[in-house]
Amino acid sequence: MEYEIIIGLETHIQLNTTTKIFCSCKADSWGEAPNTNICPVCVGLPGVLPVLNRSAVEKAVLLAAAMQAEIRPLSYFDRKNYFYPDLPKGYQISQYDRSLAYGGHLEVPMPEGYVRRVRIHKLHIEEDAGKTKNENGRRLIDFNRCGVPLIEMVTAPDIRTADEAAQYLIRLRQLLRWLGISEADMEKGHLRCDANVSIRPLGADYLNPKTEIKNVNSIDAVRTAIEAEVKRQSREVESGGKVKPWTLSWDEDSGRLSKMRSKETEADYRYFREPDLLPIRLDEAWRQSILAELPELPLARRARFMGQYGLLEYDADLLTGERSLSDYFEQTVQAYQGDPKRVANWLLNDVMRMLNERGKTAGALNLTPQYLAEIIRLVDEGTVNTPTGKALLEKTESTEKSPREIVASEKLARVSDTAALRQMCEKILAENPEQVARYRSGKIGLIGWFMGQVMQATRGKADPKATRELLQELLDG
Amino acid sequence: MTDYIPALSAHEIARKVRRGEYTARQVTEAVLAHIARVDGCPGQLDGDPNAEPDRVHAFITLTAERALAQADAVDAKIAAGEDPGPLAGVPFTVKDIFTVKGTLSSAASRILENFIAPYTATPVARLEAAGGVILGKVNLDEFTFGSSNESSAYQPSPRNPWNPARVPGGSSGGSAAAVAAWEGALSLGTDTAGSIRQPAAFCGVVGLKPTYGRVSRYGLIAFGSSLDTTGSLARNVTDAALMLQAMAGADPHDGTAVTLPVPDYLAALPRGVEGLRIGLSPDYFRITYPDPQSGELYEEPLPDEIRAAVMHAAEVLAAQGAEIVEDVPMPHTRYGIPAYFVISRVEAASNLHRFDGVKYGYRTPQKVRDLHEMYRKSRGEGFGLQPKLRILMGMYVSAAQYSAQYYNRALKIRTLIRRDFEAVFDPQGAYRLDALLTPTTPTPAFPIGGVYGDSVLMQYADQLTVAANHAGIPGISLPGGLNAEGLPLGIQLLGPDFSESTLFRIGYAYEQATAEEAWRATRPLVVR
Repeated sequence: MEYEIIIGLETHIQLNTTTKIFCSCKADSWGEAPNTNICPVCVGLPGVLPVLNRSAVEKAVLLAAAMQAEIRPLSYFDRKNYFYPDLPKGYQISQYDRSLAYGGHLEVPMPEGYVRRVRIHKLHIEEDAGKTKNENGRRLIDFNRCGVPLIEMVTAPDIRTADEAAQYLIRLRQLLRWLGISEADMEKGHLRCDANVSIRPLGADYLNPKTEIKNVNSIDAVRTAIEAEVKRQSREVESGGKVKPWTLSWDEDSGRLSKMRSKETEADYRYFREPDLLPIRLDEAWRQSILAELPELPLARRARFMGQYGLLEYDADLLTGERSLSDYFEQTVQAYQGDPKRVANWLLNDVMRMLNERGKTAGALNLTPQYLAEIIRLVDEGTVNTPTGKALLEKTESTEKSPREIVASEKLARVSDTAALRQMCEKILAENPEQVARYRSGKIGLIGWFMGQVMQATRGKADPKATRELLQELLDG
Repeated sequence: MTDYIPALSAHEIARKVRRGEYTARQVTEAVLAHIARVDGCPGQLDGDPNAEPDRVHAFITLTAERALAQADAVDAKIAAGEDPGPLAGVPFTVKDIFTVKGTLSSAASRILENFIAPYTATPVARLEAAGGVILGKVNLDEFTFGSSNESSAYQPSPRNPWNPARVPGGSSGGSAAAVAAWEGALSLGTDTAGSIRQPAAFCGVVGLKPTYGRVSRYGLIAFGSSLDTTGSLARNVTDAALMLQAMAGADPHDGTAVTLPVPDYLAALPRGVEGLRIGLSPDYFRITYPDPQSGELYEEPLPDEIRAAVMHAAEVLAAQGAEIVEDVPMPHTRYGIPAYFVISRVEAASNLHRFDGVKYGYRTPQKVRDLHEMYRKSRGEGFGLQPKLRILMGMYVSAAQYSAQYYNRALKIRTLIRRDFEAVFDPQGAYRLDALLTPTTPTPAFPIGGVYGDSVLMQYADQLTVAANHAGIPGISLPGGLNAEGLPLGIQLLGPDFSESTLFRIGYAYEQATAEEAWRATRPLVVR
């Protein structure tokens, strides 16, 4: 039997605010000792109150706008009540029925050429809980993460393959970094994903019970875990069984799913409005000032690069993989004023390698777009040859001098002055009478040996074409 | 003639300390000595409820050393020529529902038996910054859940200074009893349904519940967060105003504390009541009770002594130039308690979640098999009866299948109650009131053991005060005379949002006009 796979993803996105959502502790505790980045507010001591960090709202509004969601001018915080040792207040401050935004979608272009539109069901702001660790039969709790601002975003069951799920996460991660609202590093938990998976006979219009896979900490793991779960569900159904609505945990090391709990009944979180916080009133002025920061989005820019600059889709995709790189590309194109494809080639072949080697983003390079444009022009004009041009990239980056200055101070300009070159060639011929004789007796392949001598003497600056012409003229003449 | 310092009011003490007539240390020592005479043993866990039945027992924790150190700091400021603040050397007590750094902050519950707060509540910090001297933490109903103080885990619970066989009221019972018995000129209390005004009425002192948001709640261990307010208990209107002046205003730790500027309350006091419109509502002269068997509501008029005290106050104010407006309809008053039952319990159940034995407070000493058993035992042993009742009801009415029926309906009633007030305070409306004059409580202080145990009837004692908490408006209870048995009667003024200044003005005018009445000269029994 053929099955259709139905996948919905629930993502938690850690916002990169400076401080936590309701207190002034640092938001990021990566690498800090347990329980060192806490205060009475984030550990919920008796009597404390939350005070909203507006920056978390602003970042959430940017995401909502980028997802083309409807943003509510008035939204509320609610309490989600449950007991857990790492939830210090016994409730999580979240949003429920009047969340910041609703609706929206993300277009996910698939490598096969089609585009999957994934609708968004829910988008709300909430605080993170702490972490629990079991060690030697003891339960240890780290509250550092309590109060870190999160956005919970839940998709509709619109995803049909494990690959689509992976692509959705790749595009979401790209978008979050592009907007500058999250580091979106799955390994560090900045972007967390639970996958809801069910299968149904191809063509069916009902939904079967789904399982929820938790604890998937990389995009590859999401793909592998979903594939494993689809196989498990198909086996279950084919052997006459039924899929039960379990919560499963993915074990990265063994590549196995294990049952965490059955989920026959919905937990009742007894939501009610958080009385300690005022509603979020997103008035027009605030909204406008936030949306003024909304940049052109990656997929729109990719399309524009293809149309405006005639780039291939593959190149356009690479150049819009990251916002700083795409800005860099456009700034270089402007400074260069020549064929944008030429800029794209330089960037994709050489500058990208530099970025990877140095672990820098394009915006952080000493090799500015103006310098890169200058280097390409130096090559175009014939002032330097291509290998020298490429060497200039590294030199500019490490010396922070302009490429023209470097060319001047290191005498890198190509020796194309015919008089000087002719003199050099004559000198080499005069010093090597035997080779000249052999050439003239028919060993014309020796032209390459003469070329090498000239290049060595000029340290590569000689223009190869002019040198060859001169040598031939002198040897044949 | 030398003063008996503990009997002095806050503004008198501050004036004398600032002038150098007394040092803050002298004042503090005098009040500590007075406390040693009248208070008896402090409340303690597993204490005997009947110990020393003629004493006040206002305190849970007396912080004498800390008080003397603070007093010395005030004196040092004065010696250095610095401004010691408007409450210079004024001794005050703090309801043990507020955190004070380094002190036990117990909420009168076993579950916080070992909780030493690592931070100080904003209103406490502001009173200290104004030169006030904290004498200690006073008793209350467990987590403020009650109207008599009998539910405190710390026994003996406070007794009424006018008649120690009577309750002081609650939940700020320790505060009201302390102020009435001269154990500190001021006390910091909280009011969720009447918890400042009712004990103030029972103990013959002034109790102010400010507008919601006027004073920060940071450091107030929450009961019903949307209803809780921080306010003052004092022996006269001037002191209550002085205290509010020091506490009110925005707080970076409380997003619900409003940023409106704080007016000069003291300057407004002597302006009189000429031209103010003060309303009387028949809905505040009857009380609605549910029949314990059938659940049917029935109405009962208030006792004549209560009615008479309010009518007398109306006459006094009319003679001072106020316009008395009768028959003001407040039709939703009778639904205040049922709505409060639901809303406060939903919030309370959630607010009490954090007391789980994991991080601080009581954890069961028994062996437990798993996490859930630790929760159950710690909470089962740590909470008293009142928190348990409120958790049960709160969980029930907020459950997904019931919340529309109970919680959402209660919120609608709350809106209707708010509209009652908006209509009569509307400056363009039919009544255009500046304030509503009502009784504070349906009865004077009841006997210890008289009502306790019947949580429903106890709650109906808040019927005349709770509407202000639903609506968020300010209310003040003023001593309005003594009944035939010599028990204090309270009258209440309710006003629109942020009208504390007007309420103080009316209260002050009433106080001045009745200064020579015989009951004013009568002292509480314990200080006679």
